[in-house]
This record gives sequence, C-alpha cells and structure tokens, in this order.
Amino acid sequence: MKTRKWNMLLIGTAIATLAVGVASACKDFLNTAPQGVLNEDALATPDGVEGLLIAAYRDLDCNNSSVGAWGCAASNWVWGSVPSGDAHKGSNLGDQAPIFEIETYLWSAGDVQDYLNQKWSQVYDGIARANATIRLLNKVIAAGGLDSGSVQAHGIRGEAIFLRAHYHFEAYRLWENIPYYTENNTDFKSSNQNVQVIDSIVTDLNTAEKLLAAGPRNGDAGRASAWTARAYKGRVYAYAAAKNVAYWDSAKATLDQVVSSGPYALETSFDHVWTAFTQYQNGPETILAYQASVRDGEPNGENSNFGERLNFPYAGSHFGCCGFHQPTFNLLDFFQVDANGLPLAETDPNWNNPAPTAVIPTSDTGNIWKGFNFIGGNPRPVDPRVDWTAGRDQVPYKDWGLHNRSWIRDASYSGPYSPKKNVQEDAANGENNVGWVPTQTNDVNIHIFRYADLLLLLAEADIATGNVDLARGFVNQIRARAGQTAQGCGINTSDPNQAAAVADELNAYPTCAGQTSMTVTLNQVGTIDSVTTPWAVYRIGTYATPWTDPVAALQAVKMERRLELAMEGQRFFDLRRWGDADTVVANYVAIEKNRIPYLAGASFGARNHLYPIPAIQIELSKVGSTDMLVQNPGW
Amino acid sequence: MESMLLGKRVLRAVGMCALLALAVCRVAYAQVEVTGTVTSASGSNLQGVTVRIRGTNTTTTTGADGKYSISAAADAVLVFNAIGYKGVGQALNGRTTVDVVLEPSVAVLPEVVVTGYMEEQRKNMTGAGTSVDAQSIQRQTGASALQALDGRAAGVTIDNSGSPGSRTTVRIRGISSFQNNDPLYVIDGTPVQDTYLNFLNPDDIASVEVLKDASAASIYGSRASNGVILIETKRGKPGRRQVTLDVTTGVASPVNGYDNIVITNSLDYFKVVKTAFRNAGEKPPANIYGDSANPSVPAFIWPNNGSSQTTDTLNTASYSYPNNLIMPGSAGTNWWKAVFGTGQVRNANLSVSGGGDDNSYLVSFNYLNQQGTAAYTLYQRGGVRINTKFTMSRVTVGENLQINREQSYGGLDDNGLGEDNIVGKNIFQQPVVPIFDIAGNFASGKAPGLSNLSNPLMIATVGQHDVNTNDRMFGNVFGTLDASHGFSLTTRFGFNLDQNNFHSFSGITPENAEPSFNDGINENYNLFTEWTWSNTLNYARSFAKHNLTVLLGQEATKNTNRFEAASCANLLTTDVSERYIQDALCDPTTKNVSSVGSIASLMSFFGKADYNYAERYFLNVTVRRDGSSRLGPSHRWGTFPAVGLGWRVSNESFYPQNFFFSSMMLRAGFGITGNQLIPPDRIVSQLGGDRGATFYDISGGSKTVITPGFQITAIGNPNLKWEENRSLNVGVDLEFNQGKGSFSADVYNRKSNNLLFAPALPATAGAAAPPIVNIGKMQNKGYDLSLAYKGVIAGSTFWSVSVNGVHYHNEITKINGTAYIFYPTNIIRDQNPVINMIGQPIGAFYGLVADGYYKDSLDAAPYWADGARPGRIKFKDLNGDGHITSADRAIIGSPHPTFTGGLDLGLRHGNWDLSATFFATLGNKIFNEEKYWYVFRYFDTNVRQDLLANSVVLNGPCNDVQGVCPGVVTNPGAKYPRLDANDAFSRQFSSYWVENGAYLRLRNIQIGYNLPTALIRWIPAARVYLQAENLFTITGYSGLDPSLPAPDVTGPAGDVRDQYLGIDQGVYPSNRTITIGISTSF
Repeated sequence: MKTRKWNMLLIGTAIATLAVGVASACKDFLNTAPQGVLNEDALATPDGVEGLLIAAYRDLDCNNSSVGAWGCAASNWVWGSVPSGDAHKGSNLGDQAPIFEIETYLWSAGDVQDYLNQKWSQVYDGIARANATIRLLNKVIAAGGLDSGSVQAHGIRGEAIFLRAHYHFEAYRLWENIPYYTENNTDFKSSNQNVQVIDSIVTDLNTAEKLLAAGPRNGDAGRASAWTARAYKGRVYAYAAAKNVAYWDSAKATLDQVVSSGPYALETSFDHVWTAFTQYQNGPETILAYQASVRDGEPNGENSNFGERLNFPYAGSHFGCCGFHQPTFNLLDFFQVDANGLPLAETDPNWNNPAPTAVIPTSDTGNIWKGFNFIGGNPRPVDPRVDWTAGRDQVPYKDWGLHNRSWIRDASYSGPYSPKKNVQEDAANGENNVGWVPTQTNDVNIHIFRYADLLLLLAEADIATGNVDLARGFVNQIRARAGQTAQGCGINTSDPNQAAAVADELNAYPTCAGQTSMTVTLNQVGTIDSVTTPWAVYRIGTYATPWTDPVAALQAVKMERRLELAMEGQRFFDLRRWGDADTVVANYVAIEKNRIPYLAGASFGARNHLYPIPAIQIELSKVGSTDMLVQNPGW
Repeated sequence: MESMLLGKRVLRAVGMCALLALAVCRVAYAQVEVTGTVTSASGSNLQGVTVRIRGTNTTTTTGADGKYSISAAADAVLVFNAIGYKGVGQALNGRTTVDVVLEPSVAVLPEVVVTGYMEEQRKNMTGAGTSVDAQSIQRQTGASALQALDGRAAGVTIDNSGSPGSRTTVRIRGISSFQNNDPLYVIDGTPVQDTYLNFLNPDDIASVEVLKDASAASIYGSRASNGVILIETKRGKPGRRQVTLDVTTGVASPVNGYDNIVITNSLDYFKVVKTAFRNAGEKPPANIYGDSANPSVPAFIWPNNGSSQTTDTLNTASYSYPNNLIMPGSAGTNWWKAVFGTGQVRNANLSVSGGGDDNSYLVSFNYLNQQGTAAYTLYQRGGVRINTKFTMSRVTVGENLQINREQSYGGLDDNGLGEDNIVGKNIFQQPVVPIFDIAGNFASGKAPGLSNLSNPLMIATVGQHDVNTNDRMFGNVFGTLDASHGFSLTTRFGFNLDQNNFHSFSGITPENAEPSFNDGINENYNLFTEWTWSNTLNYARSFAKHNLTVLLGQEATKNTNRFEAASCANLLTTDVSERYIQDALCDPTTKNVSSVGSIASLMSFFGKADYNYAERYFLNVTVRRDGSSRLGPSHRWGTFPAVGLGWRVSNESFYPQNFFFSSMMLRAGFGITGNQLIPPDRIVSQLGGDRGATFYDISGGSKTVITPGFQITAIGNPNLKWEENRSLNVGVDLEFNQGKGSFSADVYNRKSNNLLFAPALPATAGAAAPPIVNIGKMQNKGYDLSLAYKGVIAGSTFWSVSVNGVHYHNEITKINGTAYIFYPTNIIRDQNPVINMIGQPIGAFYGLVADGYYKDSLDAAPYWADGARPGRIKFKDLNGDGHITSADRAIIGSPHPTFTGGLDLGLRHGNWDLSATFFATLGNKIFNEEKYWYVFRYFDTNVRQDLLANSVVLNGPCNDVQGVCPGVVTNPGAKYPRLDANDAFSRQFSSYWVENGAYLRLRNIQIGYNLPTALIRWIPAARVYLQAENLFTITGYSGLDPSLPAPDVTGPAGDVRDQYLGIDQGVYPSNRTITIGISTSF
C-alpha cells in the first residue's frame, strides 16, 4: 500500500514537472523561424541591393504570369500595335477574346479589365521594386555598408531611378492620368489627378543621368547608362510636346546631344535589329531592351520572350502555335513603293486598294482576302522591310523555309500574315527547351527604345523647330540602312528537320538552288536600292529632294516611323501623340472591314484616346468613399 | 492426430445438430407476450432501457414507468441494456413476466459523449451538439467518413465531388472566416489540422460528435471557431472475442452526363456555328463542313487543305506520328461516353475485438478500392488499426494507432475541377473530332475552327500512371492515473505523420491545335509531422445533489512540413519504368528542383468546470488560453472563455408527471473561440528570389547564366492577432410521447471579429503577397432543428423518421480601414464573379444585371459603342453614365442556401429493414461558369443541344454597323441571346449566369435482411443489404450536377475556397452507386 502511494506520488510529480517544464519552455516554443525565406537584414548588403535592382529590371516584361501574360508584354503589342491598324488580334475567333475587344475599341467590356490590370500591375510592380532598391540602398549606406559617393552606390541609385522613370512613362502612355511614386511615397493610394507626370519623369531622368556613367555598369548590356537616361529623356520630351509644343526645343537639344556625342548607331542591316543571333544583340542600336533569356534553368521558360509567346505562326509551322498579332492587310499594303522606292502611300491615294463595296458576302465560297494579296499576279515593288516585318505565303520566313497557308490558324478570321520580327532564326539556336510550346520561347530581346526610333523623334523635333531638311537626313539614314539587305532564300540546312522545307522551296523557286544565305544584298544605285527575288521586287529609295514643307516632311517622317517600327507596339501611341488617331483609325477601319468582317463594328471614339484605368484599381484606391484614382474621361 | 480430427468432426456434427435442433425447436415454440418492469438498484423505474431478443433485431424500450412489453418465443432470451448500467440477460423459460434490476456500470456506452478531453452525458450538455449514428457512416461507399454527415447532422453542410478519394468539405453553421473554415477534427483525442480525412476508415468509426457552438467547443478554443468534430474509433469491449467481417461491392455511374446536355451530332453542331457566323456578318467557315448551305461530314479534319475538307482525298500512307497526322471527320463523337462510364467499388473490413477484466483490444484491417467513373481514375486505401487499453490497478495505458496507405491514380485535381482536366472544358470537344486518328493515336481539334482543347481521353490515358501516394501513421498513446478521491490524471501524446509522394507525366500532344512536342515528368515529395501532447487533470465529485466535474489541462502542438518538387523534360523514352529524374533519362539541362517548408506551434492551457444541482440546474464554465507562433509576438496569446447554462425543467417537482413532453431541457451558452489558421511566418516580411520572377539576364545574350535578383515576396504584419468568434446559442431539447419522439432546436448568433485575411493591395504597392490583416467582422445567424419519432405498427413493424433542418444567414458586417469591398484572388478567364462587400454574404456573386435582350437598334443605340446590339443581352446601366462598364456591376446572387434539410426514414419488419435518406437545399444560387462554353461557345467549344432552337431571333438583318440594323427581336422570352460569333458583350459576367441551385436528392436507400442465426451454420449472425446512393435528383439547374464541391483555391491567406462557393467550373459529377454488402460477426 505504501509503495503504491509512493508510485502515485512519483507519477504525479513527474507529470507536474513535465507540465511546468513545457510551460516554462513555451516562450521559445512559439518563436518558430520562418522557413526558406530571406529577411531584409540578410539582404542589407551591397549584393542584396544589387539583387533588388536586378528584380526591378526583370519587370521590363511580365514575370511569372503563366496565364494571360500578354497584357503586360514588354512590346506592348496588345496596346500599341493591335488597336493601331498595324495588327489584328490574330489566331481565331475564340482565343484571347479580350484582345478582340481591344482591337474593336470595346474597352469597357468586362474581360478587357484583366488585361488592363496586368499592365497596370506590371508597371507599378516595377516602380515598387525600383523604390525598394533605393530604400534598401539608403539603409545599407546609413549602416556603413556602402559609401554613398561610390560608383556602385551612384550606379544602383541611378539605374533604379531610371527604371522608375521608364515604368511611369509606360503607364503615362496608356493612361496619362497616373500617380507618381518615389521611394518616399509609401501611401499606395495616391491621387492620379493634377500629377505633373512628365515633370517627375524628367526630374528622375535628370537625376539618373547625373548619377550614371557613360557606359553600362560592369559592362552589362542590359543596364541603363547616362546615355540611356539622356536618350529616354528626349523621347519623353517628344511625348510632352504633344501637349505643349515648347517641349520640342528640349527634345531637339537632348536628342541632338545623343546623336552627336552618344554611343548609338544604326545596325548595319535591318535583319540585325530583331534577332536571336547573339552577336547582333545589344548592338549599337539598342538603347533599352528587355533581355530575353532561354535555357537558363527556369522550368517554364519564363525569362524568355514570354509576352510575345503567342505571336508565332500556327500548327503547320515549326513553331506550332498560336497565330496572334497578325499584320493587317493595311500594313502590308503600306510597304508598297513607287518608282523611286518611296512609300506609295505618299503619292497614291489608292495605295490601300480601292475599297470594294461594303456588302457582307452572301456566298459561302471563296476566300475573302483574295485580291488584297501581294502574291498572285500582283508583284508590286515593296520596301524590303516588309519581309522582315510580316510573314506572307510563298516568301521565306527568315531561315525556316517558305511561309504557307497551313501556318495560319484561321485566315478568314484575321488574314493570311504572320508576325516576324520577334521570331528567332533557326540557325541562331535561340530556342528554349522547356515549358509550354518551347518552339515559341526564344531569346530575341524585345526592343523598348532603339536608335532608329530616336532618330525619327529627332526628325520630328527638327521639323517642329524649323529645321525641316535636317529631318530628311535622319529619315534617309534609316532608309539607307533598310536598303542593305532583303529576305533571301537561305534555309538553315544544319537543321535536320528542314529537309522538307528545302525541297518545297526548290520546288517553288528553282533559282534558290545553292542560295544558303538568309539575306540577299540589294543593288545600290544612286538613291535607289533594289533587288528582285522570285517572290518580290524589293525597292527602296532615299529622299533626294531637300525638304522645305514642314507638313509634307512630317507626313514623310510619320510614314517612315510606321514602316520602320511596324509591329513594335509603338504605333497607337504615335497616332495619339500626333492627334491622328481618329482619322487614321477611321480610314483604316473603313477599308479593312471589307477583309476582316468583325471590324465592321469597330468604332473609335473620343474616349478611346486613353485607356480606361482598371476598375479594380480604382476600387482599391478608395479612401473612405472617395476614389483616389479617377477614371479617364468617357469610361 | 487422427483422433483429434475425428474429435473435431464429432464436435462439429454435434454443434450442427444443436443448431438444427434450435431451429426446429424455435418453430415449435409459440410466441408469447412478455411484460415487465426495469428498475435501478435504488428502486426507481428506468426509462429508455433497450429490451432485445437475443439473436434477433427485435427490440423495444421501456417507458417512463420502466415497463415494457415484447412478443417473443417462449424459449427466447431477453437482453436488457441501458446507458450507465450493466447489461442483463434473462432466459424466458416460459415466463411471461420478467422484472429486472439493473446495476450501475462504469463502462462507457454510446450515449455518453466525448466532449473535449472528457466525457459527459448527452442529456447534461448545455452547448449545441449533434451526434451522428455510426451506422450511417458505414452506409456510404465513398472514401470519406465525413460524407456521412450529409443531411444527417443539423447545422452541418457537406460537399464533395464524385471523384474517387475527393476531399470532403465540411462547414458548421455557415462560414465564419474569409479563409480556412474547416472545423477542427479531434480523432480519439488528437486534434488534426489537416482536414483531408480520407485516411480514416469509415468502418472504424464508433461515434461522431459535432460541437457547434462556442460553449461546447471552446475547450478547444484556439481552433474551434469553425466548430469541432469529435471522432471516436471503435474499441474493444471486455468480454468474448468478437470478429466482424463486412464486405461491400458495387458499381458507380455518374448521376448525369454532358451527353445529356451538349450536341453529339456533327451537322447539328455546325448549324449553330453557321448561324452564329451569319448573324455576325461573318462567312461561315467552309473548311470543315464544306458548303455551309449543304454541309457534310468531312472525310478528314486534318491535314487542313485551307478550303474544304469534305472532298479531300488523301494519301493515308503518308501518315507518320507525330509529324504527319491524319484525322478523319466524325459524324458525331460522344465525348462524355468516351471518358465516363461505370466504376467498381469494393470494400472489405475485418475487425477483431474483445478484452478481459483489465484490457480491451480492437484490431481492424481495411481495404477499399474505388474506381472512378472517369477512365483510369482509381482510389485505393489499405490500413490497419490497433486500439488497446490495459488497466493496471489505478493506471490505465493504451494506444489508438492506425497505419495506412492511400493511392490515387489518374492525377486529377483535388475535387476534379477546372478547365484543364478531363471533366472541365475538355469534355466540350466538338462532335466532329474523332477520338482516334487513322492510326489509332489520339485525335484532337488541330484544324482551324475546332478549338484548342485536348482530347479528354488522351489526358486520362496519359495520366493513368500518375500516382499520388499518401502514407499515414496517426494516433496517440495515453496513460491515465486514477488518483482516487475523484481525481484522475491523463496524459496523451498524439502524432500525425504523413508522407506524400506524387509523380506525374505529361506527354506530347501533336494532335492539338496548339501542339506540344515536349514531354516531361514531375515528382513531389512532402513530409508532414505533427505532434500534440496534452495533460489533463480531472476531478469529479457528487455530494448531496451537487454534481461537480472539473478539468484542468495543458497542451502543446507542433507541426513541421517540408515539400520537395522536381521535374525534368524531354524524356529519352516514355516507358513507365523509366520515368525517373536522372541525367541519362531526360534532358539534364531541364532538371529543376525546389523545396519549401514551414513550422508552426501552439501552446495552450485550459480549464473547465461542470456543475449541476440535482440534474436540474446546469452550469458549465470553460476558459482556454492559447499562444500561436503564427501571430505577432505581442498578440499571440488569446483567451477564450465560455459559459453554458441549462435547466432541465422536467426534473422539477412542479413539472406535470404525465405531460406530453416527458423531458424538457432549456440551454443557453455564450463563448469565444479563436482562429489562427493562416500560413505560418506571415508576421515578418519575406524576401526571395525566383528565377522566373526576379532573376534577369542583365549581361545580355547569355543562355545559361542568369543574374539572381530579389524581391519582397510577401509583406508581413507583426501585429497579427487572433480572429475571434463570439457565439450565442439558445436551445431546447424535448422528448414526447413517452420518449418516442424527440425535438431539438437551437438558435444562434455567431459574430466573427478581427477576421484574418489578405485582401489585395492597390497594384501601386507592388506584386508582393499582401499582408494578412485582421480585416473585419462577419455574422452568422441561424437555427438548427431536428425532429425524430419512432413508432410501432401492430407490435412487429418498427418505423422511424427524423428530419433536420438548417438555416443560416451570413453577412459581412464590417471591413476595416477604408475599404467596403474586396475581391478574392481568383480570376476565371479574365473575369471575376465574386466579391466580398459589407452587408453581403461572403463570396456573393457580382456582375452586370441582365434585363432581357436589346429588342432593336433603337434599344441598343445608347450603348452601341460598348457592344450592345439587338438580340444581345441587355444590361442595366446602374450608374446611369450612359455606358455599360464594370462600374455597373451589382450583387447578383448568393451561393448560400436559405434552408437545407435532411430526412431519414427507417422501417423494420421482422428480419427486413429499409432505410432512406433525402437531402434538399433551397435558396442557393449557382454561378454557372460552364455557360462560357456551352452557351457562349468561347474557345469554339461544344454547345447545349437546345441552343439553336431557343436563342433570340431577329426578323431582319443586323450587322455591326449602327444605322444598318433593321432587325427586331421576335422572341424576347428566349433562353439564350442571339447566336453571334462576335458577341463578346453578352458574355460579360452578369445575372444571366446565375441559376437557382435548389435540389432534392435521394442520397441513400438501403434494404437489408438479417439472416436468421441458424440459416447458415458457420455464420452466427449476418446481415445482407442492397443499397443505392444518389438514385434520383430533382432540380431545375441546367448544368451537370447541382451538388458542387467548393473549388480548391488557395490565396496568400491560405485556403479561400469559401469565397468561391457555388461556382460551377466543370465538376466531376456525383456518383450513383449501387452496392450489395454483407456484415457478419462471429
């Protein structure tokens, strides 16, 4: 009996001791360390700040958006190209319907909202990352981790401020009325009314320009330098001039300085501008580009040209999918030239073909695009850039063989042409090997701002400031470069899968036998460069007569801009900047709707000058019952 | 040896003779009417004592006066059982009056319920609780024991899909949180936070008790805000060894198929396409069906010749896989039948239990094999359970242990939802697409206009070797010390070890419109460990009429989780045996590995005192204090008190003796419970770097090296505090008509405060996961009712009916800060159909308000620029700005039912029994997202069979050009808008998508027969039964199945499925299962 009591006492004591022990240990017990994540202290080093800066660059394209990354593509193809008359949505009727609504100016529709929100979220995430970089930099400097006057500190700050300016400019181009965020502004519900966006961007670019060195830091091609900031500032001034012509003086001064003293130049030939050949990437023409990367270990290929991934020929081609961002008939027609190799559109009001009667076809037979194609008994001379810009049937598609109708998903829906600039060359080995349709993820860098663009902005500035003939020089510089090479026969014969393509091409064009180069050189005679290939007569001339009429000169510059930058996501913003959007879009739709029936309902109104601010962001901006973000007019 | 065998034979022969003799004798004895009185040792009459004729299921119960009457054979043996008393057997031996005195028992019997670290008598409970009959748990064939709660427990709602092994979502009294509304499960005293309870074998379950209100549940304070479900597994009972064997086999088929909904004839389908194109002013596509005026089934749909496929002649010898596929046209493929059919269910359970004076044991073995109704889907589970208990003087030790393995084949999403699996949009392949190409490889819609969907049978086939394996060891060991003087000490160490392995394969899809020529494999491994150690001190004392029980306790819980994922692409061979991640077997440059983990802990102290005076006045007081590692250091401790009051009116001296209500108990309780079930580590900001999100090729042009980058991945909130739920419950329990009937009703008001959620920040804050904050308040008001009655017809037919009903009203009453709304995170094809808004229930449907159709161009004119056209759906311009935009959205429906009810019927006559369970839900709406496909033909999918016949028609032309549109709607009451290939306007999320989700379903009907003991000599007792589940459904819902599982959606704050209730995204339909089974015991 006694033992039992002892036992009980022992057991009771043991339990009590354990309970007390557990209780006293409870403070530590509840302090569990976060698993597998970094905290800010771990990154409060110069290397950590550099890492935050890298992430700020990464937002130049969408990231980690495995679904619907198209709204925030680096190229702005959805916002700058599709609604401008350069491109149709492409593909077929059902796929990515929101882009159909963007193309037909139905921007109030519910599913456009997600696209708008993708773009808004991408640019403001870029801004947030840039500002986080600056804040951490300040913290590291304050803690003595880095000298505030060091090259590294200046470089990090300058690049981050530059990126912040760029992202705000992107937002400005779509919405104009936007809030501006610096590293000191952590109230994420700032108003978008009466914000001096241009002034803020210019201020930031000036700061960046002062902080940055002439060349990219560490020799990294992707980094912004003082020249990047200066060139970008010229671009921003040109946009500002659309509101206040006085800015043309600033634009001219800035851009002149870049042209006269900057490191930039045009690539030697047009096919080196958009390319997967590493040796041509980040050449002298690149001012700012999204640096696409493949086979870098990312399991879904997300660092590649992700935003452009839909914009490849369809199932019959090597790429396999998805046929978006198809050039319009209007764009193809625009590449026609006259006897002098100058744009036919300058002199022939019927350049875009006489409009057929606007009757809905009642017959079910026949293909409605017939009669509008260059091919088929109508080999009008064309600017050689057309076949670096658009894929068309029976024309070699870079070094992949002849483009043909099976490469088109549904030609009756949005025409027979394919995008081309963003497509990798077969021989360049720039393709991915992982993720969904890796044949369409490549490392072709996405140009955000390139030197030809800058030259044409300077041409505009010269015209606006009374130096009309100076503009001609820049336009001719670009046209002369365009006259260097045209699309040639060459197929990448080292690709074993191309044997059938070679046979097809030789069957169609026996003269291609032995022609292995992807390019063919134009014959340069005086002011006209030309070459005749089995599929096209290429011709391009420079403007020989001095320009005196600023109106005609501006017209020529605008045309050159369209030809040079076609499909690069710039045109819609240009049209708006010029105040041309209403008439150009109306003229475009009036004829294009006869080829693309769904455009019949497309109606461009005053409210389409600015994109609607995503509704969800307006709702999230509420302070009390007040929307801090005010919707753009008409939406 | 010989003699022993002989002896056995002799014995067996004798046994047989004896049995035969019994059977014969039985016939010889006449039935007699036996009566008697059952009293307790103290002399009072005992009510509710079960009197059973041994070897039969014939029973009766004693009335309030302790009297009973039963008809039995003159040689029968009567067995008397009552809760709290030792059973007694009495052989009649010709007697017609048998009076019995029952002695109190210490044995735990079913009507004592385990309510949180202790047991108490059901009748003394002051909180709201519901017990579920263990038999009904075993009456269903699904893998989850939780399915049995469906329609059988007032206040509890259940949903799950028909996918084998799918998760069952249980909700108690509405929804009290924005995230993670799963109740806390406590299995044999061990809490489980992982709510995927399929590892638990339904046959092992002895009782399920649902604690619904805070006064009942707050002893589990920290995790009780969504209610607590206490599950006790079967134990051995002292006495003879008992062996039971239950075997069930059956066959399941889907309750409904898409072939009942969509077109299965190619040319009928083309009529829809043609009309949609013509109406849009577009030329109908001619490439597939040829001349649209006289369409025909094409010879081939691929290769695409660019114009008409119908006259094509192909050299089929040129076929080569995968580069040159040739696919014939089909006159009409039934895609549903291609994938869905019947599936077999097999279940076997063997258990051995028993015990002696100082021990009890139960060992059970279970195997379940459940084929899905979809091709190649399979769930199987095998396990063993061991429950033992040893009593050594004052010390009791024991364990409850189960070890099992579950395997799911077929790689379905949890719940089988979404677009990309065999059930989702892929079932909408057009009928002209054949299942196989000319060489027997899978075909799909490669040609223009055929949609970019995958062949669902291909998906099922390729995924057939995808296996998800779950190995689980779950249970606890415990020890109790009876310290005398009413004190006892219990310590219990629970463990939950789970390792999960999943590997899957994705093949090439050259047949797709968007082909893929890259295959790959994924392999995931997860290791989860959780332990819970609880120590409790109990004290029970009765003096005079005062009865007091006190509990003090302490508990600590910790869990760790580690998840590893790996993948590799471009396999050298696709052999199942070579699907491993090795350099030699795939492209090593595509190898990718990652791992993540988490640790969380909880520390708790609690106490409870139950007091009653003369079983008339009851008072329960509970206090629990919990600390959570998930919450901010200065807020991590929460205190959760509760108080319950009860008054058993019927025990008062003034209560009329022969009143219709023989028992009456009034209850009221108030308490606070907590919720902290958010992802761990959210009190600090997290930074990270992901190659696809923050790394960047800053140097340019490189293909293998990429520069690391970092970002803030999640914003922390160091001030996170407990979400609290305050609940007030008032209830009444009545028994009437001498205990034949019972009625129970509870009304409640639950208010959640400091709700934890991570609402989206403005995008200007960046893309980091938003901080979890204590965001607002939510209220659930409602009532639970249950009514049961048992009756006898002509002394030999016993019937019972029980009804339960539930109503709750959920409302968000406050959202902190300046926001009055916030959206959940999930976007469905660029649109979001739900919103959380003050004054509305959680997950309310949100969209434009449809108002018929625009009847002519004048009607549409004001909104023409927005896309309005005659024959398209007309929307209300709610903000009056002259445009239809997202600013015109409003609340368009609620997924929450106004009433759900269950009806259980039982009938027993002799050896036959019949039971049926109905379930009904009323007032809930379904957002039928499948309309994207079968009404609006998004992505060129198949459509509803009546789409052409029931869509709006104009009496003249109307193309898109304003002013050239004379057509006027002729049938404004049509079901569908005008077929129009370019109509993106009507497709905007609106009230048009919202449908009534009410339905009535016969969940279960079962007929059983008890084989008389002597019929089969080697089986002492057996019951055979035939049962049907989901035999019929009455509903007006136009989709596949109105019984929708909550979709599996996870956001920054954790599981947010309750914000997406009632959205039909393509659901694996419920099964209609017919089974036969036999239960025997030896």
